[in-house]
Order: sequence, then C-alpha cells, then structure tokens
Amino acid sequence: MSEKGGKGFSLPKPSLKSTPPSSKDGKDDSSTKSKKGRRVQFDSEGSREPKSNFSSKFYRPAAASGKADWGKGGKGDTVANAKKKEPQPLELKIEQELPKSVKCMMDCEAADILQGIQEQMVMLSKDPTIKIPVSFDKGLQYANSTSRYTHPQSGRHVLETLKKYGVKDGEICVIANVCPETTDEVFALVPSLKAKRSTLSQPLKDVLSELTRFKRAT
Amino acid sequence: MFFHIVLERNMQLHPRHFGRNLRENLVSKLMKDVEGTCSGQHGFVVAITGIENIGKGMIRDGTGFVSFPIKYQCVVFRPFKGEILEAVVTMVNKMGFFAEAGPVQIFVSNHLIPDDMEFQTGDMPNYTTSDGSVKIQKDSEVRLKIIGTRVDATEIFCIGTIKDDFLGVINDPTTA
Repeated sequence: MSEKGGKGFSLPKPSLKSTPPSSKDGKDDSSTKSKKGRRVQFDSEGSREPKSNFSSKFYRPAAASGKADWGKGGKGDTVANAKKKEPQPLELKIEQELPKSVKCMMDCEAADILQGIQEQMVMLSKDPTIKIPVSFDKGLQYANSTSRYTHPQSGRHVLETLKKYGVKDGEICVIANVCPETTDEVFALVPSLKAKRSTLSQPLKDVLSELTRFKRAT
Repeated sequence: MFFHIVLERNMQLHPRHFGRNLRENLVSKLMKDVEGTCSGQHGFVVAITGIENIGKGMIRDGTGFVSFPIKYQCVVFRPFKGEILEAVVTMVNKMGFFAEAGPVQIFVSNHLIPDDMEFQTGDMPNYTTSDGSVKIQKDSEVRLKIIGTRVDATEIFCIGTIKDDFLGVINDPTTA
C-alpha cells in the first residue's frame, strides 16, 4: 500500500482515511491522485494547524472535481462517502466532553458574575501580592461586549422552554450568545438541531420573538 | 463559552500561615495559584466564585507542610469545536487573520475565508470583497465557528472558519 502511495502519502493510520478508493486504478498517476486525495482530517485531537491548510485547500476543489478525478464517478463516490467524502457539519458536543455537573453559562450571565467579582477585586488589589490575572480582564471584556440582553434571567427563562423539545444546555447557550434573528440562522449555526427541525421550528420562532424584547439596544 | 464548574485541588500551606487567618490564607493562595491558569479539560479559569468545602488538613511527612483538599466553584472559559463565537480581529496577513475571543486566540486561515475575499496589503492589511462592500481588518468584529482547538501549558489556541452561512464580519471599525 505504501508502494502504491508512491511518496508514502497513503498513511497507515486508519483514522486518516487519506487513500481514495480509486488509487487502485491509477498506475502512473497514483502519485498525483494520492496527492489530490491526500486529506488530513484534523478534527481529531491535537495540533494539526499546518496540515489544516491542506485539508481545506483540497476540500472544496476535490468536492468539485472529485468525480472527474476519481475516475469511477458514482461508484467511487459512494465508497468514498462510506469512508468520509463530505465531512459532516461540525456539531457541538459539550455534554460528551465535560462532566454533568458543569453548567453552561450565557455570556450575559457570566458578565454579571464577573462584574460582581471585579468590584471585590478592587478591594483585594490593594494587596500588592495579589495580581488580577490577564484572563480575567479579557474574559470580563469579552462577556460585556457579547452580552446582548438587558435581563439575563428572563432570557434564560425564555430559552429554557426549548428544553422540553430536547434542546441541550450547550445548544441553548450558543443560541443565546449568537442572538439569531431567524430560525434559518439557528439551524445553520447549530446543525445538531436540524434533525428536530419539524418539531422545533414553531417554538423556536416564538422564543426568538420573545428574546427580541430583552435585547439590549446597541 | 463560559461554564460554571466545581473543581477540587489540594493546597499545601506552610505552618507560618497557620493561625486565625488560616482560611483566608488558604483561599488567597488558591486564587493566586489557580486564577488565570489553563487546562485542556476545563479551559481558562477566569475567576473563582466561591469555596464549597475545605477538608481536613493532612500533615506531610518530613516537610511540615499541610495539605488541604479544597472544593471551589469557578467560572471557566473553554472553546469547543462547532461553537459559534464573536471575536475581534487582532492581526491580518496573507495566510489569514488572528482574532481574539476573551482569553482565547483564534486563527482563520485564508482557505477558510470565502473565496470572494482577497488579501490587500498596505498600512492596514485587510481582506476585502471584490466590490469593496465587506472588509476584514484589525479591530473588525467577526462571527466565526471553531473547528479545532489546541491546548498549550498556558493558553488555548483555536482554528476557526468564516466560510459557512451566517458567519463573517459583524462590525467594521471604519464605519463605526
């Protein structure tokens, strides 16, 4: 397999899925095909930033010219689909990565809490050994700038009604932080909700119109 | 995204801090040690909001230090893959642009910028559409999606994209 890959592009790791199925076709042009077919999947953990350029560079052109390049058109494609041709839209998976006791916070709620702490810190900063960390300042500034609602509690209350439709806490927080105007925007930005589109559309529309009442004038 | 989380840590205290202010000394040491740090699992610890419990101290053999298990609540900031964030652009170059969202740095490669935006060099390097209607430059606010994260000893670094629907420039500093 490594010989076929020519310059060793077909990496043995099964997770990388970089060898297109039609590489078995190419005799002379296997190296060019494997060059084009080389795609490093970087949504696995770890730093793959340099390679991310490659993956996205070949991402769309490969999709466009994929059929032409990969010879057997439909067959190649269906096999490729099984192996990963079109990457699935990246979904938010907070609940899987963090313990259940963790509570997602909307930016406006965080801004309230951090503002309160800052007032206390003013007193603490009189102690020369205590330094206010940079991440606190940046976090507070960010929370204040993205905080969109005049009444975070009411905003939270309105969004909680979505929970009975199966919307997770993390998804609710993303919706709150993004402050969408239409349901299309919500489904585009939070692809994990697309599966429940039929049940969610109307409640989401109601929630969004309620939320506009609490939006801070910018 | 911000999270409210309960964490646990063992704090070691030198006997010179014992006395009536033991608890205050423990808490201030905890704050000095923990606030501003970063971990892969929890992200940046932005602030400690409260102490849940301080356990019984155990004297370490040989040193005399005492180890206290402390449970504390804190606000953490951790970016997630697939999350939508609003960030402020800090630097633009031909490879893409850097942006900042809170304590987190995000890089958006030029491959993940829409094809109709071209890099323009100059005093204020920027990405502009062909008709000049949309510009990304330093201090622009952009909405982006995180597609990858990397954790260092002291910071979290992310890769983002603006090539999807409803992503891109929110606020242009020149028009503000």
